[in-house]
This record gives sequence, structure tokens and C-alpha cells, in this order.
Amino acid sequence: MEEKPARLTGGRFLIQAEEAEAMAEEAGVAAVTELLPLLVPAAQRLARPPISNYRVGAVGLGTSGRIFLGANLEFPGLPLNHSVHAEQFLVANAAAHGETGIRCIAVSTVPCGHCRQFLQEIRGSAEIQILVTSDEEPAFRPLASLLPLPFGPPDLLHKGVPLLLEPHDNALGATVVPGGGGGRGLSDAIGEGGMEQRLRAAAEAAARASHAPYSGCAAGFAVADVDERVYAGSYLESAAYNPSLGPVQAAMVAWVAAGGGGEDGGWGIVAATLVEEEAAVVSHEGTARIFLEAVAPGVHLKAYRLRSSKAD
Amino acid sequence: MESGKFVIAAQEAEAMAKTAGVAALKELLPLLVSTAQRLARPPISNYPVGAVGLGTSGRIFLGVNLEFPGLPLNHSVHAEQFLVANAAAQGEAGISCIAVSSFPCGHCRQFLQEIRGAGEIQILVTSDEDAAFRPLSSLLPHRFGPFDLLHKGIPLLLEPHDNDLGSVESAVIAGGGQEVYEGIEKEGIQQRLRAAAGAAAKASHAPYSGCAAGFAVADGEGRVYAGSYMESAAYNPSLGPVQAAMVGYVAACGGVGGEYRGWGIFAAALVEKEAAAVSHEGTARIFLEAVAPGAHLNVYRFRSSATV
Repeated sequence: MEEKPARLTGGRFLIQAEEAEAMAEEAGVAAVTELLPLLVPAAQRLARPPISNYRVGAVGLGTSGRIFLGANLEFPGLPLNHSVHAEQFLVANAAAHGETGIRCIAVSTVPCGHCRQFLQEIRGSAEIQILVTSDEEPAFRPLASLLPLPFGPPDLLHKGVPLLLEPHDNALGATVVPGGGGGRGLSDAIGEGGMEQRLRAAAEAAARASHAPYSGCAAGFAVADVDERVYAGSYLESAAYNPSLGPVQAAMVAWVAAGGGGEDGGWGIVAATLVEEEAAVVSHEGTARIFLEAVAPGVHLKAYRLRSSKAD
Repeated sequence: MESGKFVIAAQEAEAMAKTAGVAALKELLPLLVSTAQRLARPPISNYPVGAVGLGTSGRIFLGVNLEFPGLPLNHSVHAEQFLVANAAAQGEAGISCIAVSSFPCGHCRQFLQEIRGAGEIQILVTSDEDAAFRPLSSLLPHRFGPFDLLHKGIPLLLEPHDNDLGSVESAVIAGGGQEVYEGIEKEGIQQRLRAAAGAAAKASHAPYSGCAAGFAVADGEGRVYAGSYMESAAYNPSLGPVQAAMVGYVAACGGVGGEYRGWGIFAAALVEKEAAAVSHEGTARIFLEAVAPGAHLNVYRFRSSATV
């Protein structure tokens, strides 16, 4: 019985609410929450951790009733802070699909402190129910019990500032500041081919949706595969700074969640675009370059630096 | 206490405790937190954090947060990490208690798991209404840690490491101008940077990836400061060798920082494994571009068959 629901996910990272209900019924569980742990092995199978070979799968239930999967990603040749944890993947995946809240998460290993911290960015995080399938007696417990006396958004932000998974519409400058390394003027961009326009539009939309209330530095990143499919990700900042999910990582989440990825474990990235603010105090341009050097050598980064008068 | 002092010898700590009228060294720690905070360098957040730790040797170590504009936030150093890196660089074998100005975030609670007996480290938060020492295990219950991944018997953080670096390949030269290069050649600074980064790599804690690494920076006076890579079981909270070297730099001289352009860094050296699964070369380059443009970086790659 445990295998069946896992097979039904078919490598997908998102299950619509109706289907989730149907799967729960078929699995013979009373509530969709009880379905989550049964899907963890499926999520683990989607993990790509070539450095540790330690697969982590996470399955979350959104307030919409949709189920989101997350799996860990590792990138050889880079420092370990380029890694994506399964719980972060899940949240970035949910955010990209406009999910407004996460009620519970089942995960294959107990979340590390980095993830317990990252989850604090969600409103009501203390009440997110977490179940660890590797526990002797797996049971849902509130995140507050795993990170008591947390440091979090309330320590730094005024009430009323949108938190992660809440709508963001960051004001981005309209002026693209030309500069070295691929920045270009607006008129030049319009003259570009369709794929480049789509990459830029996707990265911009991702920047507009990004969560960066601490630095005020909105940012988005987009990549394209050989079939010219475009995947984009929004920067998701953490109050504790270091656990922030970079826009590059968020774009890789979108890529994997959409079933992308080259053969033989390669990534098959053919183009990449970053949109961020000019002279940003938190800039991802350098890190995006080194990421591409390691993961997609030969791919040139196009960086659009926008001049904006308004901080996030 | 004079400003800019990041290590207090055991005897002096005892004397300070007496002067402050506290019964135990532990009680001295919270009294030093605001001093530590004043040494912090957080130009992005302007949120200074100070941490004061007591080593098992009786020495006291300070830690402060460091932030580097123009880079992603994962280049930041937290005060608790600074404290641990500082203690490690001084050969401290254990930390028994830490007083800190804000609640440690999950990233730090995780990083601290690398120390043997982490659960029993006593933590006091001076901003807490009921400021009292409580064990780290109460702040990170049901932890993920080294023993989820390592066999017992492998050295943990603060325990002696002597990584085998095998044979160090010839240098790859990157960045900086010819003048700078000749300048540092003349002074023998390049050799000292290489030696310091190599020693730091030998001492580094990288049991998860097996990728030992060390980094060293030289200031305009030719003084060299080095730092060892310190890996976390949870990967992302790892402290890069570049950050560890900045800790060494700030701890040694109170930090040449905003007053000097480029942190006063003139040249740097990275020692890491050839074709490493975890490589710091790219990140070291972008760090220097943002923090010390024009600084000269040499990268030395070693070939080793031994695991760390």
C-alpha cells in the first residue's frame, strides 16, 4: 500500500487538490495529511545529491490543498552553500505556484537548523506541522518544538511587511544600466531573439515576486534548456541572512520541478539571465557566473541591472 | 577591556572575573557581550551581534558578525561562527558556554553541532528577559548532526586535524596586476601566504566532502592571516576558508575595515584539492572582486588520495 501513492506521483512535484483527495482515498487514509509521509520516498527518488549521495525528500500540504514535493540538490565544483535542501525546494516550489501557506511537511530526515530557520520566513511558521519519516515513531509536531525561541522576521521587520508566500510586487527600475559582463540597454534587448526576451521577462517577473525585505534587493534568475523552455526563480531571503535561497538556486528548483535536466545527470542549460538592482548591496551576479562555470561551462550570463528608486 | 581584543588569556579572564565581582568565569561572559557588539562589522543590516565564549582551557573568545556588501548574503559570518573559528584558530579544544546578544539563529544552532558535546554547550542570550544559561540541545531539539553522517571516531570541529595534502600543484595565478605580483614576490609574501593557507588546509574540518581547504590574506604591511574551511553536516552552514581568514584578520587586528579601501587586503592565497567536489576558487575570486578589487590571488591545488 505504501508504494502505490508514491508511484502515482509519476515524478511530479505538484499534485492538485482534487487529485490529492483522490489519492488519499485510494491509499485508505482519513486525511490528506496522512498521505504526505507515504509520498516521501517518491520525493527522495527525485533528489540530485551527487556530493553526499544522501537523498532527502520533503512533501508539503499547502493551504490550497495542493501537495508540493521537494528534493535536495547539490552542485559539484562549488561551495556547499550552493546546495538546495529539500525543505527549501518545497517552499520555493510552492511560492512559484502562488501557494499562500504551508500547513504540514513530511520529510525523510529531521530538518537541519538551516531549514528550520528558512521556514521562519512563512507567516505562522511556528504552527507548521513537521513529520520525520525516519523517526522511530513518526508523528506531526509543530515547527516551534524544533526551533524554540526562534530568531525570525519579527526581530527585524515591521508588522505589515509581506512575508514569504504572501504576494510581493517589488518595484523594479525600468532603466537597464549597461555595464560589463552582458548588461545591455533596453532597446538592445528588444532586438534580441525570442528566447532572450522570454528569459529576461521571466527573470524580471521573478524579481518582482522575490522576497527580500531585509536587503531590499529584489532579484530573479532564469535559465533555458536546449528546447528553449524557460525556468525562473525568485530570490527568497532569510532574516538570518545565510539561509537565504539565491535566485539561481530558485531557478534550478523550477527546472527540476518542471522535470527538466539533461541526460546523464547533466543540466543542459543553454542560456541564463539575471535581473537585479544596479549596485545592489546584495548582488548575485558573481555567484551566478561561478555557478554557470561549474554547472554549464560555456554559457554566458546576461545580467540586467535595473535602476530603481524604491527599495523592496 | 581594550577594544579589538578577541582572545582573553585564562589568567586575565580570572582577574577580570574577580574585578567584576562574579563568582565564576561563566558569569563574566554576558558582561562582555556589548563590548563584542561594538566590534561587529554589519554594514548591510546595521544589526551588530556580539558573542563571547568560554573555552575549556579557560580562555575567553569573542565573536562578531561580518557582512560584505556586493555579495550574496551567504558570504556573511555570524558572531557565533566567528567565535568558533577564532577558538579553532587558537587551538581551543572545546567551548563550554556562550553569551550572545541575540538568539542564535537556526544556521548557528546547526553550525555549533560540529563541536563534540554540542548539546551541552550553555547558551545565554543577553537580550532575553530571563537571561539565563540553557543547553544548546534545548534550542535545537532532535538535531541533525555529524553522527547522522559520520562514523564515531572521526575528529570533530576543535579536535586536532592533520589532513594529508599530498603534493601541491603549481600555482594558478589569477587577478591583480603585474606590479602587485612583483611586489609580493619581492617581499616573499607569496611564500608566506602559500604556507599559511597550506597550514590552514591541513587543519581544516571537512569530513563530509573530504575537501580540505585553507585561505590566507596579506595586508599592506605584509602581515598574513589565514583561515581553515569548517564544514557543517548540514552543508549550507559551512564556514568557507575565505570567511575563516577574514575572522583571523579581524580577530588579529580588530579589523581593518571601512576606514581602509578594500579592507587593506593586498594579496591572497587559496589551497584546496584538485578537481574538488567542493571548490572555493570561484567564490574566493568574487569575494576579492567585491571586497578587495585588485588584490592578487594565487590558487594552489593539491592532489591527495587520503580522505579528510
